Amino acid sequence: MILHWSQIYRVWRRNFIIFKRTWLLSLFWIVLEPLFLLAAIGFGLGAYVKTVGGLAYVDFYFPGLLCTTSMMISFFEGAYGNFSKLNSSRSVGGGAAMGIYSVILISPVTVPELTLGELFWAASKGMLSSIGLLVVGLFFGLGHTPRILVVIPVLFANAWIFSCVGMVVTSYVRNYDQMIFPTSGLIVPMSLFCGTFFPVNELNSILKSVIYVLPLTHSVEIVRKLFVSGFSVDLLINAFVLVVIGILVTRFALRRLAYRLQP
Amino acid sequence: MLNNKNTPVASSEATPVASAEVPTAPTWAAPPTLEAPTWAAPPTLVQELALDARHLVKSFDDLRALKGVSFDVRVGEVFGLLGPNGAGKSTLVKMVYGHVQPNSGDLYILGMNVRSSSREIRGRLGVVPQDEGLDVELTVLENLMVFASFFEVSEGVARARAYDLLKMMRLDEYTHEPVANLSSGYRRRLAIARAMVNHPEILILDEPTVGLDSQVRLWIWDFLKKVKDQAKTIILTTHYMEEAELLCDRIAIVDKGQALAVGSPQDLISVHLGPQMAEFEVAGTEMSYYLNRIRERRFKFFTVGSHIYVPFQAESDANELLTIVNSRRIAIRRTTLSDVFLHLAGHDLREEPT
Ligand SMILES: Nc1ncnc2c1ncn2[C@@H]1O[C@H](COP(=O)(O)OP(=O)(O)OP(=O)(O)O)[C@@H](O)[C@H]1O
Ligand SMILES: [Mg+2]
Repeated sequence: MILHWSQIYRVWRRNFIIFKRTWLLSLFWIVLEPLFLLAAIGFGLGAYVKTVGGLAYVDFYFPGLLCTTSMMISFFEGAYGNFSKLNSSRSVGGGAAMGIYSVILISPVTVPELTLGELFWAASKGMLSSIGLLVVGLFFGLGHTPRILVVIPVLFANAWIFSCVGMVVTSYVRNYDQMIFPTSGLIVPMSLFCGTFFPVNELNSILKSVIYVLPLTHSVEIVRKLFVSGFSVDLLINAFVLVVIGILVTRFALRRLAYRLQP
Repeated sequence: MLNNKNTPVASSEATPVASAEVPTAPTWAAPPTLEAPTWAAPPTLVQELALDARHLVKSFDDLRALKGVSFDVRVGEVFGLLGPNGAGKSTLVKMVYGHVQPNSGDLYILGMNVRSSSREIRGRLGVVPQDEGLDVELTVLENLMVFASFFEVSEGVARARAYDLLKMMRLDEYTHEPVANLSSGYRRRLAIARAMVNHPEILILDEPTVGLDSQVRLWIWDFLKKVKDQAKTIILTTHYMEEAELLCDRIAIVDKGQALAVGSPQDLISVHLGPQMAEFEVAGTEMSYYLNRIRERRFKFFTVGSHIYVPFQAESDANELLTIVNSRRIAIRRTTLSDVFLHLAGHDLREEPT
């Protein structure tokens, strides 16, 4: 099937129209949580830690926080945000209210276009949130390097992957309660162990090999290397892993939505 | 693609040949080319089909929702799918806009196969689904604008159309209201407006007046008649006999996944029954007595529960029937589509299927 890129953009734009109304307020609340973490852990707890791999703790922690934020926001948008769009619900009148995805599919938009537009949206929101944090970080003397411009697409790729994961989750669960399993079993552990709070090297070799399969590890490593040491060849390896995972989860999300929306 | 009997249709994409009413032209008139040449077809032979359904079958797990449904809809006509709850009406129209895939059978819309041209087909349809499906996160105007964008209508054109439609639907004072604030009558009108924002060639309405008060219902009927006058094709589903009779040029009577009969309301009545109907109720013990008497006089009849229905033609028949049955218990009236449905399906249009 041929994709019409303009249709993907229009699906994205529908979300943007809704977001636009409250974007400043939304962004404020979204950025507030990582900001607290930065203050309490980066600067607060970090003051008791001498250095990690030659870095001040807050410099070590900030790249992890950026990637975790982009992961969290796009995962939650993909999973919780998309659930009511995918499923029909009981309407106020008692009848079934069809999910907005089915409504959009009345028009010439196709299922892959709809899916990609929605993934693009959840990823945009995740990236925008981490950019918000990035900007705030500048005021605290974090990330003062021109390579920050390369960090942004990495944050987007990371957000894209987790918007796909969120979409896949929402295509399986029957209600909001069931989303706690992937959230507590996968997303939260990733935010703790993928080289975010402490170096991956501290783990034993079995755990380490598990951690290196997870995409967040690679995003964090890329962003940290870009901030600290600049470009290097091993960045390409991290990037390659991200791209492979990105392709796999995108295909998975497309397949799930095709299954759910074409009975 | 024009469809006419005198030209061979080669492409597998082409619509199957139209209905048998088209006179057959001698085959030697067809040029040897495989393309259907438009010049060869006198206008009277051209019968373009808006919809052509052949043996459509659909099962949901164990449930056979459609058991081989065939009918066609001509361009410019108002076609009704009349049937009770669970008959398969929504399943049929969902196949048209690609939300349900047929297990087998063929469905062509405006000459295009739903299996291979769904995007193109949807671009030429306007759909009001049974549960409206409005975008509750958007305002009234945004609903129209965003939907128009999916049909690749440019922003300026969409805005002009949206304001026209809002005025026509008497929604203009709600232009910037969230959809959630609208009452059910206004919501339905907005759903209809949205279906027209791409200037569709076929308008599909799944139960357009269910759950509305009679005033809004009359307004919508009136509106649909005006749309009909613009020679737009309309396909609607309904379980209201009056709605089907009032609006539709032709009807398919659908029950339990089957199209029991297709035709104009008048034809359905005259072919299956007759212009007049006598209906009376008898006690169970009296049933065979009355049926025998009706048989003796060679009347056609059918029974549903304790009711006996006797369609008839002439005034003299009515007098004869009155001599058989106690006149206080017999109702003599014009035959309706409900009677046709009752005759064909064996149960009332309003009943849940058993
Ligand atoms: N997605 C589905 N999954 C399972 N069963 C379905 C599905 N859609 C429809 N059905 C079943 O198929 C049958 C026909 O349903 P359909 O919605 O087409 O009926 P309808 O004629 O539109 O009735 P109504 O007046 O209630 O809208 C019903 O028994 C219905 O329960
Ligand atoms: Mg229905």
